[in-house]
Amino acid sequence: MINSILLVDDENLFHLVFEDACSLLDITLSLQSVSSADEAEKLFKAWATNPSTRPECVFVDLNIIGSTFDGIELIRRINTMYGNGVVIGIISSSADQDEIGKAALVGAQFWIVKSDDIEPRLERFREDYSKYADKTQSFTVYK
Amino acid sequence: MKFHRETEMELIALAADRSIFLEGNLIRLVESEYTDFQTYLKSALDNDKEKRKQRLEVTKQVQTQNKDLEKKAKENDRLMSELKEALEAAEVAKQRIENDLDVLQRRTQFELIGNIVQIALWVIVGVGVVVTLMYFFAMYSGSSEKTLIGNTWSNLFGILLTNSFSIIGTIMGVKYASEQKDQK
Repeated sequence: MINSILLVDDENLFHLVFEDACSLLDITLSLQSVSSADEAEKLFKAWATNPSTRPECVFVDLNIIGSTFDGIELIRRINTMYGNGVVIGIISSSADQDEIGKAALVGAQFWIVKSDDIEPRLERFREDYSKYADKTQSFTVYK
Repeated sequence: MKFHRETEMELIALAADRSIFLEGNLIRLVESEYTDFQTYLKSALDNDKEKRKQRLEVTKQVQTQNKDLEKKAKENDRLMSELKEALEAAEVAKQRIENDLDVLQRRTQFELIGNIVQIALWVIVGVGVVVTLMYFFAMYSGSSEKTLIGNTWSNLFGILLTNSFSIIGTIMGVKYASEQKDQK
């Protein structure tokens, strides 16, 4: 089970879906959700000085409406400016190959395609999680 | 995490009396050495899972409905935009037709005026020619009414010229007024 997860997604309904799916699949007991990339960046700034509540894994939406930058830029900033070795990746309804390539370049470790039936993908992610944590798993797209 | 035995008993009683159980992820963190509370925790976890499943289904339905509504709103916006464009095009076409009709009406009016003027001028010229010929005939035939016909010719010619200029003036005035209206 993942110790704690941060979800960055502008769609509040998806927060509920993700929370229930994570609980039902025993993925985590501790989930924090924020609605914008700016909010997430603020949290990472705070965790840079006090990492005790820092999440173990971060799921970022690709297009976060209401944010000043997108999910790929957030991952780049987390990896370069607040580099603290969290498992990080994209969760998006898009499966655009160009965007997937860009995400991999900035250090995303996975890409989960959001759909009505998200549970099987999260289950596969949960099975691979330990390999993500010890950095032995290559970039994977869960379609 | 472990509860005091009294708390465990109270929770078991609450579940038995009113079917109220612990909820949420907290259940997974609670442990007990007593089998009755372990059974209670299992029931609470099953209840929680069932509720979460139901909530997940409802949330997914709402999410799908929201997406459909968004799609329909976009489609509606697109149709409204097309309708607006069609209305604008119809308005332009209507304006063009009105202009064409106006031009056509004016042309018909000018043609009518032109015909009237042409006929009037031919009548004036005809009368002038006939009266002049009568005057010449009277002069060469030595008629005693030569002076009278001369005066009549002079008067008639004056009247004909006045009328001609009056008609031409009226036509020029109408034409000028029409041009001013067009410019406005």
